[in-house]
Amino acid sequence: MQERKIEELLETVFTEREKGRDDAAGVLARAGDHAEGKSEADFAELEAMGLLRRDGARVALTGEGERRARGVVRRHRLAERLLKDLLDVAEGAMESQACEFEHSLSAEVTDSVCTLLGHPPTCPHGEPIPPGPCCGTTQRTLRPLVTGLPHFEMGATGRIVFIAPKFHDRMDRLAALGVIPGSTVRLHQRSPSYVIELGETTIALDPEIAGEIFVKRI
Amino acid sequence: MTPRAATAPADRLDKQLVPEPRTAILVGNPNVGKSVLFGALTGKYVTVSNYPGTTVEVTRGHATIEGRAWNVMDTPGTNGLTPMSEDEQATRDILLREVGYACLQVCDTKNLRRGLLLTVQLAEAGVPFLLALNMADEAASRGIHVDVEALAKSLGVDVVPTVAVERKGLAQLQAALPAARPSSFAVRYDPAIEEGLAEVVPLLPPGGGLAPRAVALMLLAGDDSLDGRIAGLPAEARERVAEARRRVSARYPESLRFVISKQRLAAVDRLHDAVVTRGARSAGSDFGKRLGAWSTHPIWGVPILAAVLLAAYEFVGVLGARVAVDFMEYKVFYDRLVPWTQAAVRWLVPWQAAQRFLVGPAGVPFREHDGFLVGRYGLFSMGLSYGMAIVLPIVATFFVAFSVLEDSGYLPRLAVMVNKLFKRMGLNGKAVLPMVLGLGCDTMATMTARIMETRKERIIVTLLLALAIPCSAQMAVILAMAASLSPGALAWFGGALLGTLVLVGWLAAKVLPGRGSDFVLELPPLRIPQAGNVAVKTLARIEWYLREALPLFLVGTLLLWGLDRVGGLVVLQRVAAPVVVGVLHLPKEAALAFILGFLRRDYAAAGLFLHYEPFIRAGTLTREMQIQITVALVTLTLFIPCIANFFMIVKERGWKTGLAIAGFIVPFAVGVGATVNVLMRWLY
Repeated sequence: MQERKIEELLETVFTEREKGRDDAAGVLARAGDHAEGKSEADFAELEAMGLLRRDGARVALTGEGERRARGVVRRHRLAERLLKDLLDVAEGAMESQACEFEHSLSAEVTDSVCTLLGHPPTCPHGEPIPPGPCCGTTQRTLRPLVTGLPHFEMGATGRIVFIAPKFHDRMDRLAALGVIPGSTVRLHQRSPSYVIELGETTIALDPEIAGEIFVKRI
Repeated sequence: MTPRAATAPADRLDKQLVPEPRTAILVGNPNVGKSVLFGALTGKYVTVSNYPGTTVEVTRGHATIEGRAWNVMDTPGTNGLTPMSEDEQATRDILLREVGYACLQVCDTKNLRRGLLLTVQLAEAGVPFLLALNMADEAASRGIHVDVEALAKSLGVDVVPTVAVERKGLAQLQAALPAARPSSFAVRYDPAIEEGLAEVVPLLPPGGGLAPRAVALMLLAGDDSLDGRIAGLPAEARERVAEARRRVSARYPESLRFVISKQRLAAVDRLHDAVVTRGARSAGSDFGKRLGAWSTHPIWGVPILAAVLLAAYEFVGVLGARVAVDFMEYKVFYDRLVPWTQAAVRWLVPWQAAQRFLVGPAGVPFREHDGFLVGRYGLFSMGLSYGMAIVLPIVATFFVAFSVLEDSGYLPRLAVMVNKLFKRMGLNGKAVLPMVLGLGCDTMATMTARIMETRKERIIVTLLLALAIPCSAQMAVILAMAASLSPGALAWFGGALLGTLVLVGWLAAKVLPGRGSDFVLELPPLRIPQAGNVAVKTLARIEWYLREALPLFLVGTLLLWGLDRVGGLVVLQRVAAPVVVGVLHLPKEAALAFILGFLRRDYAAAGLFLHYEPFIRAGTLTREMQIQITVALVTLTLFIPCIANFFMIVKERGWKTGLAIAGFIVPFAVGVGATVNVLMRWLY
């Protein structure tokens, strides 16, 4: 089986599981374009490769399958962030390009993109991005282009690139105060609460919310 | 252009008569000087506030503009017409419900971007309006220049620069008000959203204060608060609205509401950049800015916080709660008003029996008989003297301090400083307001729990107020008794209260369903409060206290008097005695103190104080007594709040929550008291 097809199927098993589904038929129906000629037989093959376990009509990833699936999902969602927030690519093009990137990005480049974007926790659709080896390490060889407010330089001015909120209504609340991607902010203080300035508006925020706002220095 | 006239048919028949008054509605972001402008327009000042959520009530006034009578309404500050809070919903609903009005949008010129975000929504809504660019002087001093003519041309409505506090621009504003008209400015959204709008708009019934396009946008954005409005639509139309919404939202990864705000803000940014130029800023306002920065600084903010709290304590706790209360209670009430009332009743009421009923037998001190007006639990000597002589001086001084803090812009900064502490209790920094107010009067504070955004937070605040925040009436007696305690026993008392506060808050946050609201708070610039504003605001709030809280004190007194008359107090005392003596190891006199405490909080502590006073004076308090006093104080402070507070809880939160809170507090207070008793006997 082609590498792409393997990755596509593993990715679909992973994303289906996120939605709480694990039936083989559903995986097959929802697998993307790169899994040409997909069929039930592919699962047998994946099982033989040690990437998948089958239990009746249900499928589950093995340890190795899990590792590879996470990699694909990670590349896909990071690519979405890169394309949408930094390069301002429209939704349709973003999706098809991300589907390309997920198969072609090397591990090294993936980590660089992740660092560049400030290790974003979610994709633009709000789905979690599986963390990679670069996330959580303190060593930073690459200077990130985008960082969460907690790591942003105090007193510096930045443009909001994206907001990855845990709750959707938070975005609305922030938007009402003018805090949206594209706005220019200055980080004023971090403790006891975050204080940011947008033009003449000063806003105090919980650290938790500040961590969801990603900015690029300008 | 002729404004939409709010004329009744009768008015059309007799054109010569005085025309019907028109309605003007003031809208604007929070802290833009809307209420000051309202005061300047109507001549009647209303509450101006820096704190989001304080102007919950809509204020109305009258004005004569260009020879015609106007009804002027002031609305709570809002950032948009798709509401995020109760306040914003109130404003939106006013615009939706009223007809034939002229809208006056007030915005902060320094912060035009946010103002314009609301402007374009008013334009979308088709509301006739004009725009006041307030605080024009502050903007100029910061080097912000707005091209007023270009802005007026782009919007198609009148734009008037004003300085409301100096009444500048008021005449131009009044001249332009009758010519308020819908704006020609329109935001174009993505094709997907426009298609959705094209589908929803024809389904909506015409009429109402807001244009169908604006309502359709709110519906697409998933505004649940509009459910009532579309309930009248046929089921098929409702289904099509829902369907259009699903289809459009599927096109975007973010919520549709956010996408709409974002595209609207992009249009605002283009307009803003076209009319605003920024020059060099003058240094004038820098000190205020620096002070503002220090007041939220992790290190410098702490001494500033301490200084503000100390000053507030000296003013409210010492001047209000001691000096003024002593004067009002003894000099005014007990020495003058009470005897005068007695004399007046004896003189006015001829029948002996009625006299006895109202003011008790002659020659007996009023504390020793059960007269209805003047007596131990008399409506006048107890109820009114409590509300007017003890609580009023405290809340009055508190309101002055509160208004000063509010007008200065320090309150939200105070919330920033204490946010972390309150987060542990499932609340956020905003909760500091009702808590501090609770130290003045828990009944009043319970009412202000409204400023919290979610139901869960409101319940936690109400519970903690009733449980662990001693009000000033109680505090005075507690402090007097605490003075006699050893430092060790004092530490036990303080520790038990603080521990309970944090523990119960933390537990309540875990147990109650729902989540806390986010702490996103705008910090207005620091300003020097104006004495006139503080005075009028304080008066308005005192009026509020007299109207809302004072009657509850009277009802409480009435209940107590009735209970005393039918011998209920003795029964209650007998029921409570085993718990007080057996569980808490207190003298049986304390049982009455607890019961009285429910009806009048300071009586409880005062009753105990009298019991121990001889020993305190002689300096012969034993270890046993120290423990007893500590246990009694802890239990009394935690114990059920006064009856006025209980009624207020019921009024604000409903019977179920009120009873649940009471049902939790009574056994819990006794439990904590018993625990402190056991621990102290073992460790102290």
